[in-house]
Amino acid sequence: MQGLLVFTVLLGVAFGNEDFVGHQVLRISAADEAQVQKVKELEDLEHLKLDFWRGPTNPGSPIDVRVPFSSVQAVKVFLESLGIRYKIMIEDVQSLLDEEKEQMLSSKPRTWVRSTDAFNYATYHTLEEIHDFVDLLVSENPQLVSKIQIGNTYEGRPIYVLKFSTGGNNRPAIWIDTGIHSREWVTQASGVWFAKKITEDYGQDPAFTAILDSMDIFLEIVTNPDGFAFTHSKNRLWRKTRSLTAGSSCVGVDPNRNWDAGFGKAGASSNPCSDTYHGKFANSEVEVKSIVDFVQSHGNIKAFISIHSYSQLLLYPYGYKSEDAPDKEELDQLAKSAVTALASLYGTKYQYGSIIKTIYEASGSTVDWTYSQGIKYSYTFELRDTGRYGFLLPASQIIPTAKETWLALLTIMEHTLNHPY
Amino acid sequence: MTSSQYLCSAPPPRGKRRALVCLTHGCSTSPQVDPKRGCKVDVVFSTERYNQEEGEQRLGKCSAHVFFKNQKPRPAVNVTCTRLIEKKKREEEDQLLYKRMKQLKVPLDAASIPDSRGHIDASLRPIWDLAFLGASYVMWEKTSQSLHYYLVQLSSVKQWKTNDDAIDFDYTVLLHEFPTQEIIPCRIHLVWYPGKPLKVKYNCQGLQTSEEASGTVESGTVESGTVEGSAVAPTELSNI
Repeated sequence: MQGLLVFTVLLGVAFGNEDFVGHQVLRISAADEAQVQKVKELEDLEHLKLDFWRGPTNPGSPIDVRVPFSSVQAVKVFLESLGIRYKIMIEDVQSLLDEEKEQMLSSKPRTWVRSTDAFNYATYHTLEEIHDFVDLLVSENPQLVSKIQIGNTYEGRPIYVLKFSTGGNNRPAIWIDTGIHSREWVTQASGVWFAKKITEDYGQDPAFTAILDSMDIFLEIVTNPDGFAFTHSKNRLWRKTRSLTAGSSCVGVDPNRNWDAGFGKAGASSNPCSDTYHGKFANSEVEVKSIVDFVQSHGNIKAFISIHSYSQLLLYPYGYKSEDAPDKEELDQLAKSAVTALASLYGTKYQYGSIIKTIYEASGSTVDWTYSQGIKYSYTFELRDTGRYGFLLPASQIIPTAKETWLALLTIMEHTLNHPY
Repeated sequence: MTSSQYLCSAPPPRGKRRALVCLTHGCSTSPQVDPKRGCKVDVVFSTERYNQEEGEQRLGKCSAHVFFKNQKPRPAVNVTCTRLIEKKKREEEDQLLYKRMKQLKVPLDAASIPDSRGHIDASLRPIWDLAFLGASYVMWEKTSQSLHYYLVQLSSVKQWKTNDDAIDFDYTVLLHEFPTQEIIPCRIHLVWYPGKPLKVKYNCQGLQTSEEASGTVESGTVESGTVEGSAVAPTELSNI
């Protein structure tokens, strides 16, 4: 995303045959009016050749500036001596440009589809393609589907949630998210399939119609957009967010260890380089905080399902402690029904149980928090497979996985409908 | 301990190569823990061929006694299996595989198998199988009471030599580690001649520390080892 911005911004300049080796983009946080003034003074120093992408306005608004290599030292010394906080958004503009150019030349052109019926569900898509799909789905089903933006990612991408509703006012709702761990590609792909399925089955399938006639469904397909973009551009196996951690050269926080439930306890890492790094504090990740804010302000979510891969498991709280959840009996029974429904399609076997007993100890996880908020039907799925392909699940398995998982989701949704609380 | 562990339970791929078997269904006793001596587990499991043909049902039956001794880094494992493929057939198939591999042209820039979308080109399948075999030795060595692994990807091929009679294969793989979720790169060098014990040397990269790290491969911890047709791991290719 940043790269695209850079490319577009520098497109004009590029014709001047300029190169940007060693140029850095800094994000400056001016704490008060005095600091804002100081940065404005910098702007006036022409010999520094600063290029403000987001100029100094008021304290609290980030100031983004491209600094040529020759001025980098001077600018940093200036800021540091005045105690003005900044961070390096782009370490080397030229390398980012080179990457973006390479990517645009080598990668497949963005597939332009005119309807969601023509969309290819049996292949993995880019973030842009999924966004296009979402917009198409909304335009094709304006009475049923709407798109909500619940926030922006660390790198500034929009975070979208689809709302499926047949009316009412703040009806009891089901929440489903996919792709919180970006490398788990079958989950975002399944999320896309679920979105389409909902629009197909409403009004056609009596059981599902009954659900949507009384409840709303919220679906967040790309829950970690920065991570997802990174899996396409640089590292297919990236799991975490892409936030920078002060004092470390390592990037990212595990969004499934960042929730306020047993935060920081055993079952997460305090090492920023770890793939289970919990972050400096609960909800430090905007991707997590956005959902927290949404859930709390909605106040009427009755089932919360967070989807991961792989291992073929259906899990309920707790992950951070071994004592049984108060609703353990019911959650266990429902899980059993759900995996039975799932297996009925292709024989895919799932295990089920509490997180800590079935997979491993994990603190700060999503459904431990949602459960603590009173959302009884809080489940985590781990989809196909069990290790043969793992994250690199062949695209031919997307639709079978989505179809069988849908049966499990229906089971949970039906139970939620029939057991109001 | 969970009552069953499924490996290869997704629909089996079509393929003619058969070099490996993997776990299909297993049950284990609850670990018997003796604080003074260690932890014992009995496991019963069945195996199927790694590249099972369509409709093939053949299952090997195995039982194992695993003893994690206190103070000892590696568990003692005693495995017995029945109904595995007959020795003569295994040898025939090894020879076939070996011949095919000698004729293979491996592009040295064959990176990322499978690719991001889980696809493996049919022509590169034998390389993947051999890479998996070597990786399985490494995973066998690294697995402990608290850590286990899956192979994610063959990330690069450094060397593929077949001039002498052996297949000399130098490559790197990525392993997925549970429960840490880390992706561990391992450099593996294997030498195979049918009928002789497989030789595997490996070198895995550990986690970066939280201090400022240069981000190069050298900055993590390194764990290496050599595995040579030990008594624990079966020595014949098609028996794995």
